[in-house]
Amino acid sequence: MDRWKKAGRFLCSMKCAVILLVVLAAACTAGSLLPQGQTAAYYTANYAESLAGAILLFHLDDVFHCWWFVGLTIFLCANLLACNVLRFPALRKRMKEGFTATKRIAEWDGVPAAVTAEEPEEIFKRLGFRNVTRGVMAVTRPTQTEAAGPESVPARYAVRHRIGVWGAWLCHLGMLVIIAGFGLGQMFQVQYSVYGVPGQTKPIGDTGYELRIDDFRVKLREDDTVEQYETDMTVTRAGENSAAAGASGTETAETGITGAAEASETAGAAGAAGTFATSETAETVGTVSVNHPLTIRGMKFYQNSTGWAANVQIYKGSELLQEGVICAGEYALVEDMEGLAVVLNAFYPDYVRGADGMPATASSALNNPGYLYTLYYNDRILGMNVLTEDEIITVEDYGIRFTDPQQYTLIQIKRDPFTPVAAAGGLLVMLSLVLAFYLPPEEVWAVQRSDGLWALAGRSRKEGAYFLEELAKYGGKAPAGSPAEAGNEQTE
Amino acid sequence: MDSSQFLAIENTLFTAVMVLYLASMVLYFVFFAMKNDRAAQIAGWVITAAFVLHTAALVVRGVGAGRLPLTNQYEFATSFAWGICLCFLVFVRKYHFRALGTFVTPVIFLLIGYAAMQSREVRELMPALRSNWLGIHVSTAIISYGAFGVSFAVSLMFLLKQGRENHDFWKKNIPDYDRLDIISYRAVSLGFLFLTFVIITGAIWAERAWGSYWSWDPKETWSLITWIIYAIYLHLRLNKGWRGRRAAWFAVIGFVCVLFTYIGVNTFIPGIHSYA
Ligand code: HEM
Repeated sequence: MDRWKKAGRFLCSMKCAVILLVVLAAACTAGSLLPQGQTAAYYTANYAESLAGAILLFHLDDVFHCWWFVGLTIFLCANLLACNVLRFPALRKRMKEGFTATKRIAEWDGVPAAVTAEEPEEIFKRLGFRNVTRGVMAVTRPTQTEAAGPESVPARYAVRHRIGVWGAWLCHLGMLVIIAGFGLGQMFQVQYSVYGVPGQTKPIGDTGYELRIDDFRVKLREDDTVEQYETDMTVTRAGENSAAAGASGTETAETGITGAAEASETAGAAGAAGTFATSETAETVGTVSVNHPLTIRGMKFYQNSTGWAANVQIYKGSELLQEGVICAGEYALVEDMEGLAVVLNAFYPDYVRGADGMPATASSALNNPGYLYTLYYNDRILGMNVLTEDEIITVEDYGIRFTDPQQYTLIQIKRDPFTPVAAAGGLLVMLSLVLAFYLPPEEVWAVQRSDGLWALAGRSRKEGAYFLEELAKYGGKAPAGSPAEAGNEQTE
Repeated sequence: MDSSQFLAIENTLFTAVMVLYLASMVLYFVFFAMKNDRAAQIAGWVITAAFVLHTAALVVRGVGAGRLPLTNQYEFATSFAWGICLCFLVFVRKYHFRALGTFVTPVIFLLIGYAAMQSREVRELMPALRSNWLGIHVSTAIISYGAFGVSFAVSLMFLLKQGRENHDFWKKNIPDYDRLDIISYRAVSLGFLFLTFVIITGAIWAERAWGSYWSWDPKETWSLITWIIYAIYLHLRLNKGWRGRRAAWFAVIGFVCVLFTYIGVNTFIPGIHSYA
């Protein structure tokens, strides 16, 4: 039983907290130095056998999500919670009654910071203490015999920043809130990404909503560097948008833009963080750009990245069979011939062959479009090459060509109802640290000596000896001629 | 004036600042090695002058670039040195502790030297960096790192004092253990508070720019590691037996983490923070 009690006490202790923090710091170090989320083969190929084995055994390939890291974090939370629960009564007591002059002065070792003839109340006020209490103190003077008992002497007492008592406690609470908000977010958040070119409409995962890309602009500066990426988009319930989706790309894009302009006028208050408005048809139109996400129906939309897309045309002889836009990394199936597919692997706006013979781009300008493609027939590679603007791949009767390169936009969509929880925790931690470090409880007191002079003392956990020096500075030196019996007052 | 003229002025100021920091470092060494009080006094003036010119250099660069000068390795290195100098001047004033200069100036000089080796070209910002949160994030980092720099110097003195307690010079010029511990603690408190601001403003910015406020990117992870090391320091100090020496070691390790977060992560580990 005793052993259990001991273990329990250890688990709630600060010693345990320090050990946990050391282990977590070490785990984070491993997680940042070792590449995360690679395949087992990657580790065996890149590390010595025993090390690779250890990495896989201890899940060091995915430290931040593995069971023991999550377990340690939960353990830390339990430790924090226990610490706060156990300390709460003591802190409340300290807040309410702990600062009584009698108790503090009884603890005083009797060495004053200064001795002065001035009324201590004035000194304490100059130091920034308000509400100075006047009272009497029971003091035993060293010159008296023990039998004489303590003597009542006049005393002064003041305290400030009581609230600071709660600094560390609130910081611990804030940490718990942050970790809870983050953990719940990890469990319940949903994320989707939608990419496409203006005119395309795509479903947003399984949300029942669709996203139509109305326009996408890459704003360049004079020196050709990118200033901003901006997407105009429309969010609708799936199905409501179908008429628009069926229309040809550019037309949809145009109506989308005018829609956006009208809508944002009616909703002039939408603010700087992206603009949006809801029209009667339950459409929501808005603009997102980097650093300016947009919240629509509980989902947050982010301008995430961009890439190249092109129009792919498939001919049989000279007859155009099919046509459509594909983004780099996507494939198009030749509908007329089962098993034949073309993948657009990469796009080079200013295509050149590099010194090593590999395709590359000389600039970001659309000077010489080059399309790296792979042709498949029933999972067999028929060919892989770079095609320039007017070239055609021919397979039997079929011809495949790429045209009209344009940049697509990638919108990330996220729903995490717990982000505000983590944010509230963060705010709490910031405020609590100000309390803990810059509003520490400080107290000062004075007792009148037998010669009528006042002995000043005080304490501050933060500034220690420096606080006493400050007090001495404000208290001034003992008046000339007074006995230098600085430490002679003995209290009990 | 166009921006190239501003940058030319900044260049001249930067060179002057480097020379002045070097001079103050030498003077503080003279003070320490030859026990020459006068040298410490002059060093104090020189480093104050360096700080004033350094502030001017940063302002001129900011005006020339048309934005806060806080976005690439050069700008951050020079601001980092500025932050340490600021915290140093504040702590010297508050705690009347000149010998601190002997330990702080080499750190400042090293950072200024590192800055001098970086490209000083003013580049336009990529879209993700065009955010007000970036300004807040990086300015708080400067104060935080500056304060940790001071605590590092003080803790180093704490550790070096051992065995030298009875040397007259150390007795006269270096505060006792308790006071060194308090000064280091106050510097860590300031640094820890600001590092918390740094991490939280960084999270807000990441959420807006990338859609995720915490993604275990190496720079994020290292700032968390640094933060944990200093949290350990704060708790060690609460225990009488761990106070002092053990806590001082953690303040030293903490600053090594600060430097690794700032320089090492960009150099050794790829990640989305690689641009800064
Ligand atoms: C992520 C975890 C933690 C953080 C960020 C944290 C932060 C802090 C901070 C900032 C302080 C104030 C220090 C000062 O005033 O100098 C503090 C004090 C303290 N912490 Fe923690 N802490 C953590 C975990 C823990 C745990 C798990 C325990 C206990 C088991 C604990 C026990 C204490 C105690 C007893 C104090 C002193 C409180 C006081 O002065 O009123 N801490 N903590």
